[in-house]
Amino acid sequence: MQWTKDDTELYLAEKKYVDTLIIPLIPFNPETDGTIAKEAFQRELNHLTTHLLEKGYRGRILLAPDYNYITGNYEAESQRINQWIEKFEKQPFEHVFLFTFDTKWKRWEKELKGHLLWVPSLHERNLQSTETRSFVKEQVNQISDLIKAYWD
Amino acid sequence: MSDKQRVSRRQFLNYTLTGVGGFMAAGMLAPMVRFAIDPVLKPSAAGDFQSVASVDEITNEPQRFEWIVEQVDGWYESEVQKTAWVYRTEDDEIVALSPICTHLGCTVDWASNEEYPDEFYCPCHAGRYTKDGVNVPGTPPTAPLPLFDHKVEEGMLYLGQEQER
Repeated sequence: MQWTKDDTELYLAEKKYVDTLIIPLIPFNPETDGTIAKEAFQRELNHLTTHLLEKGYRGRILLAPDYNYITGNYEAESQRINQWIEKFEKQPFEHVFLFTFDTKWKRWEKELKGHLLWVPSLHERNLQSTETRSFVKEQVNQISDLIKAYWD
Repeated sequence: MSDKQRVSRRQFLNYTLTGVGGFMAAGMLAPMVRFAIDPVLKPSAAGDFQSVASVDEITNEPQRFEWIVEQVDGWYESEVQKTAWVYRTEDDEIVALSPICTHLGCTVDWASNEEYPDEFYCPCHAGRYTKDGVNVPGTPPTAPLPLFDHKVEEGMLYLGQEQER
């Protein structure tokens, strides 16, 4: 389910079936020209991946609003993310996943209260190409296997 | 010649004005009528069939087929990928089932759970459906999987709208 009016209403009615949350972590830094396009591309790829994940398992996964952050201050950001997670866990959510292409999170994984799903990104290329499509599909398959392992 | 009825000036003017007025009214009304009935004239999307697979590919074992449809949804016009589980019954009938679980909309898989090798299985809440798409009582889904309208033309399978059962 997505963070939309219709889906959240369905979520509230069927809460007991939805125990998994995915928060997309989306970095950006508008200060440096060199990284903007790359980060924008990662944001698009993140949306494609998380939406595809949500589509296959929409009865059990809620896709949280994007967590956008300026790159650099990972300590402060991990605290803020933990605040998000604590609030969501009051619903309750049993499994919280953080999906990102940002490598830097790997070092902070232990501080985070959710499971970090870090996957390597692609080089910037056409998002509509069949190559990218099959890459995203393959990643979604593997990530959903991982998530299903937590469900069992 | 002289027997012919004479047309008076008044009659002549009456006829002419009625004629011209009639044309003007028709000219104004015709586009309005056209606009009013336009939705009726549009080919309905419901009747849209898409070619999905060659009939030879269809076996007794359900297989997943994918195709793309254009969908207009208020703000967005997008291409949406559709999926169906297609197989041939013992009586040589083609069955095309929607993979969307009737419980909360997850995607069901054929024979993905080892304990139920001849059933559709929903990974989210262990919903199950028999091969004909009927939900197994006691599992979360409350309705059978929808069936796609289908037709076969020149060796190709065409799928249309899904019908709830």
